[in-house]
Amino acid sequence: MMPTSTKGILGHFCGPDEALAAAAKVRDAGWKHFDFLTPFPIHGMEEAMGQKRSWIPYVTALLALGGILFAQGLQNYVMVFDWPMNFGGKPHASWPAFIPITFEAMVFWAALGTALVAIIAGKKDTVPQPPPMVIETGATVDRFVVWISATDPKWNPDEALAFLKSIGAQGVRLVDAEGGAHA
Amino acid sequence: MTRLETSPYATVMDDGQLTGHPIVLAGKGPYGGDLEVDEPLVTGGKTWAEVDRDICMHTEQFPTKRWWMAFAVAATALAIGTFAMLMLFYSGMGILGINRPVGWGSFIINFVFWIGIGHAGTLISAVLYLFRQQWRTGINRAAEAMTLFAVACAGIFPIIHLGRPWFAYWLVPYPNARGPLWVNFNSPLAWDIFAISTYGLVSLAFWYIGLLPDLATVRDRATHPWRKKIYNAMSFGWTGSHRAWRHYESAYMILAAFATPLVFSVHTIVSFDFATSILPGWHTTIFPPYFVIGAIFSGFAMVITLMTFMRGYFGLTNYITTNHMEAMAKILMLTGLLVGFAYSTEFFMAWYSGSEWEGFVFKNRAFGPYGWAYAIMFTCNAIVPQIFWWKKMRRHAWVLFVVSILVNVGMWFERYVIVVTSLHRDFLPSSWGMYALTRWDYMILLGSFGLFFTLFLLFVRVLPVIAISEVKGVMDPKVARSAPTDAAPAAGTRR
Repeated sequence: MMPTSTKGILGHFCGPDEALAAAAKVRDAGWKHFDFLTPFPIHGMEEAMGQKRSWIPYVTALLALGGILFAQGLQNYVMVFDWPMNFGGKPHASWPAFIPITFEAMVFWAALGTALVAIIAGKKDTVPQPPPMVIETGATVDRFVVWISATDPKWNPDEALAFLKSIGAQGVRLVDAEGGAHA
Repeated sequence: MTRLETSPYATVMDDGQLTGHPIVLAGKGPYGGDLEVDEPLVTGGKTWAEVDRDICMHTEQFPTKRWWMAFAVAATALAIGTFAMLMLFYSGMGILGINRPVGWGSFIINFVFWIGIGHAGTLISAVLYLFRQQWRTGINRAAEAMTLFAVACAGIFPIIHLGRPWFAYWLVPYPNARGPLWVNFNSPLAWDIFAISTYGLVSLAFWYIGLLPDLATVRDRATHPWRKKIYNAMSFGWTGSHRAWRHYESAYMILAAFATPLVFSVHTIVSFDFATSILPGWHTTIFPPYFVIGAIFSGFAMVITLMTFMRGYFGLTNYITTNHMEAMAKILMLTGLLVGFAYSTEFFMAWYSGSEWEGFVFKNRAFGPYGWAYAIMFTCNAIVPQIFWWKKMRRHAWVLFVVSILVNVGMWFERYVIVVTSLHRDFLPSSWGMYALTRWDYMILLGSFGLFFTLFLLFVRVLPVIAISEVKGVMDPKVARSAPTDAAPAAGTRR
């Protein structure tokens, strides 16, 4: 009997090399909404899963630019226009004195923004994840879990089950919304 | 030492078997020559599951008697410091040792001391990350935590040194009802606000991003539903998804790339507080590199002090091995040499510049009334670390511990020498003075150590002290993997 509320299918591998080889097979078999849940990042997994490079660096560049403009804008506005003061006859727009704060503001915006965007991107720029009840898959311990979501365009439970077993995954099981497992 | 048949690299060693030399595999090289393989970073043939247990265990049981004792000492020191600080607010700056001409006293010394200690954490996590130094994985988490707590200690001092700390928010440039009266952006003291707050917050973000996967590990081991919920929220529901790892790794690399110049900028800007003045002994171009190197030096000394306790007390010698300690000793010796070089350069320049005032300040520093402080500084910072030329000493836990304490003492006195000796002999002999810490100065200094150790002791109770996911990544999968099993672990069970 097949549960109607099936969310997807899980299986696991015991080493990063197997997971890497399996990822390439899943990609080549045409699955789209799949993911690998692993205790640590595996080198080369992006290519194996057919993913593009992360777009985070572009966001960082924009944020860094924002920080520079903010700091330059603030300092020039204050020191030249809003409250110009004479410090030993030096020019109001004494740009070398503005460099330290410009640098710090650039780092501040870029680093904190990047951290925030990376956390959000990790949740949003992804495929439907396994239900929270099956978080304990061992994926944060020593297992390299493969997950195919039921939202995949070519989703077919029997086919997915047979496929994961054929690539050598262990503990293959279908998962429903409540986190129940069905072999 | 056993080597698995399946791979020439898969090596199981105990901590006592480590030599600090690479393992030579005769005839295994690509062209038939010898192949040198590094000794394993994690000893004792640990599996990934054992790493979780060894590190998370300490957050999952009640604190021991020894922890309570350490906590009681730290909290008492903090209470004494807090009391002294309240007395300071009540009575005013007159209870401190500062006077004319020594207007900068223990608070500025402590500020520079703590911010210096705060440099090692980000250096270990960012600079060593960019240089692909994999041994950093064993110590980066605790070192970054140390950074945050040291920055917290440092941040207190300039604020209480204001005299009217309740107006500390005037240091922040914001549109206000006083004009608006802005801060002077030409002043290094205004740069300091930006540098320290940026450093503190970026270090926090870097540390927290590194924590996410490990918080998920703690969550997955948790048995109590509330514990599970709290750690799940703290890890933002981390699942280990590789679609998240992709962004995570990119962000981590970027944070490291931004944190690296930040480390160097912060103490540079702190040194500007001195170097942009026109006081002999402060007004030198060597100050930025001199301060940065001194900061890394003192920071690594504090990391060695803390790691000696941590690896012994928590039984983490398999993760923070003798090789890790030796690597830190090497950095301590290198930076110690650079600091000694800077001390000598200052003297050379004082003579070579031909400036009478500069020459007098340096003669007075070494042989004047504060010659004893200079002697402590020079001995502890430039001479004592020379013991690390001997490999045996670099690998000796007690030698490392004693040297690290001496370096901490020496680095506190370095700031004492810089601040006090440049000020106490004013330009006119009629304005000369002396400086001594009062009991309130000492109590507040003690309180800052209390705050630092209280925070650190709380940290080791609630968060994984070693970066689990990073340590797992540098272990040999052939040794660390679990036995293949078809069983799916049931939800909520500890494995």
